[in-house]
Amino acid sequence: MRRVWRALFTLSTVVSLLFLAACGNSGGDSNVVTIGWSGPQSGGAALYGKNTLDGMKMAIDDINAAGGIKVGQDQVKLKLVALDDKYLPNETATNARRLKHENGATIIFTPHSGGVFAMQQFNVQENFLIAAYTSEPKVTEAKNPLLVRIPPNYHIYPKPFSEEMMKRFGKKVALVPGTHQYAKDWTALFKQTWMGLGGKIVAENPVDYNKESDFSSAVAKALSAKPDVLFVGGASQPTALIIKDAREQGFKGGVIMMDQAKLEEVEQVLKDPRLLEGVIGVRPASQWPTEGTKKVVDSYKKKFGADKIPTSEVLYHYMAVHLFAKAMELAGTTDDPAAIRAKINDASKQLPSDKIPLSVEGLSEDGALITQPKAITMKDGKYVEIQLSFQ
Amino acid sequence: MDLFFQQIVNGLVLGSIYSLVALGITLIYGIMHLPNFAHGHLYMLGAYVTFFLITDYGLSYWPAILFAVAILVVIGMLLERLVFRPLHHAPHINSMIASIGVMLFIEAIARKMWGSDYRRLDSPYDGIIDLFGLNITEQRLLVIVSAVVLMIGLHLFLKRTVIGSTIEAMAQNREGAFLVGINANKVSLMTFAIASGLAAAAASLAAPINLVYPSMGAMVNLKAFVIIVLGGMGSIPGAVIGGYILGLAESISGTYINSEYKDLAAFVLLILILTVRPTGLFAKEAR
Repeated sequence: MRRVWRALFTLSTVVSLLFLAACGNSGGDSNVVTIGWSGPQSGGAALYGKNTLDGMKMAIDDINAAGGIKVGQDQVKLKLVALDDKYLPNETATNARRLKHENGATIIFTPHSGGVFAMQQFNVQENFLIAAYTSEPKVTEAKNPLLVRIPPNYHIYPKPFSEEMMKRFGKKVALVPGTHQYAKDWTALFKQTWMGLGGKIVAENPVDYNKESDFSSAVAKALSAKPDVLFVGGASQPTALIIKDAREQGFKGGVIMMDQAKLEEVEQVLKDPRLLEGVIGVRPASQWPTEGTKKVVDSYKKKFGADKIPTSEVLYHYMAVHLFAKAMELAGTTDDPAAIRAKINDASKQLPSDKIPLSVEGLSEDGALITQPKAITMKDGKYVEIQLSFQ
Repeated sequence: MDLFFQQIVNGLVLGSIYSLVALGITLIYGIMHLPNFAHGHLYMLGAYVTFFLITDYGLSYWPAILFAVAILVVIGMLLERLVFRPLHHAPHINSMIASIGVMLFIEAIARKMWGSDYRRLDSPYDGIIDLFGLNITEQRLLVIVSAVVLMIGLHLFLKRTVIGSTIEAMAQNREGAFLVGINANKVSLMTFAIASGLAAAAASLAAPINLVYPSMGAMVNLKAFVIIVLGGMGSIPGAVIGGYILGLAESISGTYINSEYKDLAAFVLLILILTVRPTGLFAKEAR
């Protein structure tokens, strides 16, 4: 009997301690605001997820080191809670509910369109703001009042990319994009644009970028149609392998890269810049010509190694955390998502360009940040910038 | 026609990698009746070990492969001793679940220790060979040739050496092997060692074609299981032939049907073969 009592006593002590600890974490300290994140931390997209998180962590560390943000009369510190969703929309939805109800997050980041679509179903009802890192246009077409899209819409890329490549190499294109939804939508838009400009599609050969052991058979088939230009797109590293395979098989034409693949990462895999001759893609965010961009690139290198370059994911997320923090200051609240979103436009104009990377000009009506990215292409061994037109 | 032969070569490269991984799984299955789901992750571990031996310890390609094989042999033996042998007398499902546990464990360790970054393993064989009008990189040729050498080596080992014969005997007839005094524990240990070594060799050969990252083993693992079902669970020729069939089916169907359906084509083939021969191509008996 005594043993039972003893066991019960220990158990109840442990439980009450746990309870106290839990209180200390969430409710006890009112001067901490939780920023939620749900994205891939395992599986093929884990690196992508990590890059987005690295950007947020750096921003939050910097803000907290400077004393936090001033909301009303209070100094408030930021805290990041990240949950793994394995890139699966249904998991994002579950995570979002947990982040909102268990952690009290008012702003939830997610770096994929599927997750955004899932959260859009209930974010207004459950009152939280989605920070959507995706260039999928459908995300903003839904006109969700509690959503901010961080990167630009991909609609701006296919036309200038196509015009440039047609001019330099010719009108025949072979497509070797990924098979994920994002690549499918991008490819559909690209095909329409390419044919609209009088081009011809000579081969279409999508492959799963995450499941192949060797891309050369898919590349060989695409090249057998003798294209002038190759269209590729998916995560940077497999994209680089496809370009390498194509060059090894003797392809000398142009390469159009979907915006998902980042030139700075492709470069690191290929190593030899000659393989990149004729490649067109989005200009690396780290080359944005502002003082703030340079500063953050430098501090990233200090933290992660001199040979590492922060990708768009890192820089956009760094900027976005600062933007939301500023908006909370202006709105004077950390838990009213509508009020915070209403101040995003003002906040974007107050971000100091000598401290914060990239440049945001405001928030469009449908909830997208207005930024001005550029395209870049390798011509005669040098990168040349190409203006993108904005309607 | 050039395209056809190019794709045959590509199919052979794929098939070689698949076969080497499938051989490990089929060996372990033959001896212990254990589907080792962690095998693909041993493959991943092999690639990482080779990668670090080259970049951090400055070894050149071939010595790095040899060391990686040796290290994986030790890891395989440890796994057998620490995880699977204690479960020997437990219900069958326990060791299956343990192998899934090992799989998750290895991947988590890799992510923790080395991060999720994609890494590129450079091989000294980066040139391109023009073979009767076909472009093939030296590394791909190396994969094909080395796979054949390894398979012949394994065959000779099993048929010509006493230790090899004990493994064969165990796979053929467990009770019979016990009766003639073969030590089951020793054979299990040996099998795990060989299987892990093969996985490391396959990974070191294939890694320069693709990239090194923590989930690289998962896809190869899945294909390898398809192959041993196709070839007959536990059958060594089945794993070799099955690997080449799947590799060729993937590259040919990807070319002449549609690349989006090439996995589908491979699995339809699997279903067809299993309809005609439900135990797989080379099964010795229905299990």
